[in-house]
Amino acid sequence: MADHAKVGKEYAPVTWEVERGKIRELAKAIGDPNPIFQDREAAVKEGYRDTPAPATFLTVPMMWSTSMPFVINDLAINFMMVLHGEEEYEYFQEIYPGDTITATPKVTSIEEKTSKSGRKMDMVTIELVYTNQKGEKVARARSLLVERK
Amino acid sequence: MAHEIFFEDITVGMEMPRLVKGPMHKLQHVIYAGASGDFNPLHTDDDFAKTVGMPKGAIAHGMLVMGFVGQAITTWIPKKYLKRFGVRFAGMTMQGNTITVTGKVVDKKSSGGLNLITCEVMAADENGDVKVTGSFDAALPSRG
Repeated sequence: MADHAKVGKEYAPVTWEVERGKIRELAKAIGDPNPIFQDREAAVKEGYRDTPAPATFLTVPMMWSTSMPFVINDLAINFMMVLHGEEEYEYFQEIYPGDTITATPKVTSIEEKTSKSGRKMDMVTIELVYTNQKGEKVARARSLLVERK
Repeated sequence: MAHEIFFEDITVGMEMPRLVKGPMHKLQHVIYAGASGDFNPLHTDDDFAKTVGMPKGAIAHGMLVMGFVGQAITTWIPKKYLKRFGVRFAGMTMQGNTITVTGKVVDKKSSGGLNLITCEVMAADENGDVKVTGSFDAALPSRG
């Protein structure tokens, strides 16, 4: 079960250099044909500086940096029993190719709940506020993990 | 001509254009695993998925289905106007499912110089089983 003593704990920063190819790859994996994610010129025509990161891009630094598996392990959550309960993003600025974004994962709450079927679960909330290479806040991400016990 | 939408064009109750995705195939899970970096075998290995109680084998990443919802939103509302997007994962998406994303405007207000809309969104399969529910906020330009 999740280690409730770790509420408030901060982890090593996730730092991620945003590549054009990775933006395009995520859009293609979703099957999103919107040209703003594929083609710089199309994006500029639509009022962007370059191909912007898609709405769910912030999962990429979390997973590729292996930060999320590390946090799950440190919290003593059983990886086989964990479900992704919720995900939320707030967007302050676009994220573009060439940006280096960084955020410090923080455990903001761990609560035990009981499902309708009577099963106990730990609800673990992890938040990250991403800044870019200029120190500007670009986005906030919140993940809720559910560990079935 | 840039794709544009104005605050005045939106009314409460208006529906987001629906987006149909699928049928889901494991190859897409594999491509998404590589793109996102989420290599949990639950999404790519049928035998493994069955051992952890998924009768039809590997299930789609929840974040892939959130990605479908994001696609539906940013096809309608330009990405640059999106301010918040959150979802709750309500059900597993199986191979063969066809996912339909729908949404509806639930609020519209001008506040602090911003023209804000809030929409509820949902993704469900061909049987009406809900996979994702959520909402987003966007700040739109005004014709004025």
